[in-house]
Amino acid sequence: MKFPFSVAVAIGIGLITLAGYFLNIPVLQTLRMALIEWATTLAAVALLVGIANLFTIHWNKLTSGKVGGLYSAILIVSLVLTLGVVGWFGPTHTYSKWIFNNVQLPVEGSLLALLAVILVVAGVRLLRLRSSMLSIIFIITAMVILLATGPLFGISVPGLTELRSWIAQVPAMAGARGLLLGIGLGIVAAGLRVLIGSDRPYRG
Amino acid sequence: MSNLDIFGAILGFALTLMVFSYLIGDNPLFRVAIHIFIGVTAGFVCIIVINNVLLPRMIVPLISGSMEERLLAIIPMLLGWLLLTKISPRLATFGNIPVAFLVGVAAAVAIGGAVLGTLFPQINATIAIFDLTTSRGFDTNKGLQLVNGIIILVGTVTTLAYFHFGTGPQQANPTGLQSLLRGFNQVGQVFIAITFGFLFAGVYSAAMVALVERLSFIVDFLKSVLLPLLSS
Repeated sequence: MKFPFSVAVAIGIGLITLAGYFLNIPVLQTLRMALIEWATTLAAVALLVGIANLFTIHWNKLTSGKVGGLYSAILIVSLVLTLGVVGWFGPTHTYSKWIFNNVQLPVEGSLLALLAVILVVAGVRLLRLRSSMLSIIFIITAMVILLATGPLFGISVPGLTELRSWIAQVPAMAGARGLLLGIGLGIVAAGLRVLIGSDRPYRG
Repeated sequence: MSNLDIFGAILGFALTLMVFSYLIGDNPLFRVAIHIFIGVTAGFVCIIVINNVLLPRMIVPLISGSMEERLLAIIPMLLGWLLLTKISPRLATFGNIPVAFLVGVAAAVAIGGAVLGTLFPQINATIAIFDLTTSRGFDTNKGLQLVNGIIILVGTVTTLAYFHFGTGPQQANPTGLQSLLRGFNQVGQVFIAITFGFLFAGVYSAAMVALVERLSFIVDFLKSVLLPLLSS
């Protein structure tokens, strides 16, 4: 079986870090902290590589004259301008804040606002296309929570606030807890597959 | 209001309308807004990562740190250089080592976080509801607390059972265990539907707040910037 150096690195480093979590040995805990610190720095470098890759892809798209080259040009101009202004003046300077407040914030807010309309459309489609018992339970729960949070036309139905509290603290919490435990077990399984070398997502 | 503020308000107004244009379908205006957004976000992230992570943790210790700090900063720098080889297809194999380092640490942190931060606390919280000497439940009334605890326990177990994929293909005459698991699945689905309904309402409320904020921005912009500009 071929056992490359990178597999040994992933397993060795991973096991040392994991041991630092569960064994009360000061050397292992210090090692864990140092390894996490290095990984954080490395992740920052990986992020820069990702941004360089984004730039390269859009530059190639722009220079090769492919469809959508104009969008790539817009992306490159906005990226270079932001890098220039924020890099030169610093992230807390008035000009950097101007870009953040007048470009990033409006687009982020508008995308979230768009979600309000899209969610209503998705809810109506769910009822029209798959009107099963579960989808009805889903919609009724959402309606009860929304009506209890912000009463429609100021009319508050008696008992609705108490029902909302009960849903939040009993059945919704039970479902969320089951989902969280499932996600936790899934993460443990996926992590262990990496640490025994069964999954090797770093080979490419 | 300075000219820069007015230009900023016009830009924000235009970008808001460009994003809202998605309501009539995917169109060039929406794509322009999204590409501007991606470019600006990538630029901000790049500078913040350099300022907040790379400078204080790698560059500054290498230039002005003690011998120990320099040695500790050299390792991530070497791994970082190796990672840069990923850009070149010929040298990309060398980049596997830092990626393996990242994956190994991330897997261990994920397992540690999941066990210590999710599994143990969630299981403990489910057990703690049945501790009737404390009143951390929904109601201080012991009987009601016990009933709620049982509902939470049943909900947690059946939701977990819904994600059990080991029952095999459906048979005409299922065994007792398969019938039990199928029943668990159906109860679990009800709890999942309630949870997703609750989460849906939460996300919808947040989205509505954003919608109200954007609409009030548009109205304010029309009143305070556009109308005076048109009337002058």
